Amino acid sequence: MMKSGLLPHGAGRVLAFLGLVAVMATLFTLAEPRFLSQANFSAMTRHMAANGLAALGLTFVVIVRRFDLSFAGVACFAAMTIGFAIAGGLPLWVAIGSGILVGVVAGAVNGIAISHFGLPDIVTTIATGSIAAGMAFLYSGGRTIFQNFFTSGIIDLNDARVLGFSVSFVFLIAIYACAWVLMHRTRYGAAFYATGENPVSAFYSGIPTRTYTALAFVACAVGAVLAVVLILAESGTADTNEGANLLMPAYAAVFLGAALMGGTSVLATLSGTFLITMLLDGFALAGMPYYYSDGIVSAILLGGVLLFDPRVRDILDDAVRFLIPKKTETRR
Amino acid sequence: MTAAISPAVPERTGPALRSNLIGRFWLVAALLAMIAIFGSLRPEMLEPGNVATILRSFAIMATMTLGLTWVMAAGKIDVSFMQVAALSNMIAAALLAAGHGWGVASAAGLGAGLIAGAVNGLLIAGLGLPPLIVTIATGGICASIAAALGKGTSIRIAEHGLLTDLLTTNIGPFPLVLFGVLLVYAIAWVFQERLTFGHYMYAIAQSEEAVIEAGISSRRLLIMLFVLTGGLSALAGLFLAASLSSGQPMIGASYFINGLTAVLLGGMMIHIGKPNIIGTAVAILFLAVLASGAALLGWADWKRQIIQGALLLIGIAVAVRANRKKGGHHAEAGL
Repeated sequence: MMKSGLLPHGAGRVLAFLGLVAVMATLFTLAEPRFLSQANFSAMTRHMAANGLAALGLTFVVIVRRFDLSFAGVACFAAMTIGFAIAGGLPLWVAIGSGILVGVVAGAVNGIAISHFGLPDIVTTIATGSIAAGMAFLYSGGRTIFQNFFTSGIIDLNDARVLGFSVSFVFLIAIYACAWVLMHRTRYGAAFYATGENPVSAFYSGIPTRTYTALAFVACAVGAVLAVVLILAESGTADTNEGANLLMPAYAAVFLGAALMGGTSVLATLSGTFLITMLLDGFALAGMPYYYSDGIVSAILLGGVLLFDPRVRDILDDAVRFLIPKKTETRR
Repeated sequence: MTAAISPAVPERTGPALRSNLIGRFWLVAALLAMIAIFGSLRPEMLEPGNVATILRSFAIMATMTLGLTWVMAAGKIDVSFMQVAALSNMIAAALLAAGHGWGVASAAGLGAGLIAGAVNGLLIAGLGLPPLIVTIATGGICASIAAALGKGTSIRIAEHGLLTDLLTTNIGPFPLVLFGVLLVYAIAWVFQERLTFGHYMYAIAQSEEAVIEAGISSRRLLIMLFVLTGGLSALAGLFLAASLSSGQPMIGASYFINGLTAVLLGGMMIHIGKPNIIGTAVAILFLAVLASGAALLGWADWKRQIIQGALLLIGIAVAVRANRKKGGHHAEAGL
């Protein structure tokens, strides 16, 4: 990915990130002492789990240099599918499985339309997302589904704990660990990066770039479905707009993470998700009304993109190099 | 800017005009067919009152999407337009509720739209940031401010103003505002077809580097387009405030898909594969008639949403095929 001399790589960036987290946490604790409480910590890890899963899926799409705007709509449709299956008395794993199937199908439709038929990604996913959001009304005509939720066991997903952490958080860490190994320690991960960075040379190196692009869209949709399962477990009902709030935090997490860590990666998205969840949670705890949260996330997103942008980084680099003139020939 | 509005070199219009008639006007035929079908199923569809309602929503939608059409013709995208409309809508409503007149309220709403457009333009054209991410973010900020102005709910507007008269006064089945919108579209058509402004706009979609190499400031043109989009979206937001007699912070959602569908469907006629304003206008009328007919037939809103999404997909697929046949690829550029 883009190399910058502005910040040190590896350990330096992680230290800078931890410093930023420490500063923010101190400020929030000063404003509202409850920030460090056990209750807030468990609420934060739960919110982080839902946002983090959606952001992880989006990371794949961003790595192959595409955009997906459909996953929020797909998540709504999957939420209603799961709700309908639970209300119909099906076992929980069948219900969740059918939701994931919705994600796989929707992701495959996006992926094949974009990679094999060459349709433009943004507009295509806006269209499929809109269709999926419309199909969320299919089962109940828009009414909330809540039947059988208490007996189905989905609520337990929200309340169960492993080693003091909520199950959803443990699940998040496990998925991120798998994704990290896949993306950064196997040739499949390298193929995703190659598809994004230089599809032509990736293709002539024998990488099926179209398949990898399509798979990225499937990963994105499935990530959003997994996120909405956690949201369903928390709310205990299935609503037609259950997944609509996933879009903005996911984009913000991916691009903020990339800005922090110097490139799109699994760990970058994790740190972006963590920072955004912490900021949203801290502001909510400090009593900020809910309708500011979109604005805050958007402002963070814009800040992240500005930092991530090579031109802006070049300007900053030049400024740094002007102040500390040494080792200038290492770049380009 | 003077270079951008001087008369175009005539021979450049040649190839576009040679496209066949069916390819260029099929959407008009589809529109007429749909009017005939809905009209025969539900005759009340063609009553003057209903026609005026359709044309009023056409006028508002057409105002909102004129700038968007050109932004997309230049190969960029703006997904903040409906939230800019919601922001101007809420600013106007909040100022009216605070006792200021329509004049102050309209000016403030329009000003907010122009600022939002300028921010988009500077970040996208000036710094070269990705248009999707930038407009998602600015749109989110606008939506947040709009909701904060009404503390999360809508604001009622008691006062009538000039805009209210423009929207509610009809001459026969034609609302007054329609004539204004048609005049603007006529002028805009001249800009798009007859002046170098339009040629440079389409040229940016093909190759921004080539445009810059040719000595044209693509940056200034793009900033102009984004400011225009912001201003016109804000104007549409004011129309909505007047037509609904309230400020609605969530107003944008339903216009988002409609706007993009209209621009892309419209891009399937006149110049196939290129968003253009005549196509956009016909497509908006098509969607407005579809909405009215669907409501009269008692379809649920989500069914219409699915149909529209499918239409959008078909539109994209046709555009991509048409471009591939011609050997071009500008529909994919930047989208």
